[in-house]
Amino acid sequence: MIAASRSNAPSSFEEEALPHLDAVYRFALRLSGTPDQAEDLVQDTFLRAYRSWAQYTPGTRAKSWLFTICRNVFLRQRERGRRHDEIVQRHTAMGGGVVDAVNPLWRSLDGVDPEGAFFRSILDDEVLRAIDRLPEDYRTAVVLSDVEGLTYMEIAEMTGVPVGTVKSRLFRGRRQLQRVLYDYAVEAGVLPGGFGTRDEEDHVAP
Amino acid sequence: MSLLERLKRLLGRARRGGGSEMISCEQALSAVYEYLDGELEAGPREQVEAHFDVCARCYPHLRLEESFRIALRGASGSVQSPPGLRERVMDLIARSEEG
Repeated sequence: MIAASRSNAPSSFEEEALPHLDAVYRFALRLSGTPDQAEDLVQDTFLRAYRSWAQYTPGTRAKSWLFTICRNVFLRQRERGRRHDEIVQRHTAMGGGVVDAVNPLWRSLDGVDPEGAFFRSILDDEVLRAIDRLPEDYRTAVVLSDVEGLTYMEIAEMTGVPVGTVKSRLFRGRRQLQRVLYDYAVEAGVLPGGFGTRDEEDHVAP
Repeated sequence: MSLLERLKRLLGRARRGGGSEMISCEQALSAVYEYLDGELEAGPREQVEAHFDVCARCYPHLRLEESFRIALRGASGSVQSPPGLRERVMDLIARSEEG
């Protein structure tokens, strides 16, 4: 039991923050890439969260608050030793409309698997590997939205960018991920190949 | 979304008098992520929903995005923290209190 010495009762830290341990670990794992680093990140996150608990507004989303701390810790650590496998982000994420609303993947799947049932047949490890290969900004947005269910506003506040940028990162991140999974499914023989979706990537903007 | 759910929604909308004007395929597809992410206000949400309910061309597109999301959620959502991590976190905090 944690000693009761903080103004914001530590018992509420246990009740409000600790239940999100699995979610923070999942997020940390996708950010850092390895279980050992993720575990360190989680420990650091909760220690910092505990020390700052007086600043947490009870009743707001503790999960989102913890994710913010986790990401900040990760970014600071990365400054000290940058990851080597980071994919250089090719685009400057901007808000704005979508020129091609039709998912290029859909054209490839038309008549073969138009509802994308193949996504559900891909092994979890392959999906996770594909997520981990996304540029960091996209990966963060996709994990926070698709896996953890945070709102655009929450992600925008966490990452310090406008909501339009969050939308753009989600759009690009999802499309990239879908392409990687599609290619994997073709290689694995789940889908017939030869549809050449790669050439269509530049049809989506911005 | 099951066929039955779609039918129920269509009937409900018809009973209420048809609702708003139909949006285009382009508009519906552009809003597919905001729709699935629960980011649309009631009015636009109903317009997008109404389009996907009746458009044979766009409906598979919605299903594709849903399948994708289920795969992501299933893969990452099932990850749990390693055994003992909670205890290690609690220990760390307790030690920081002592120090």
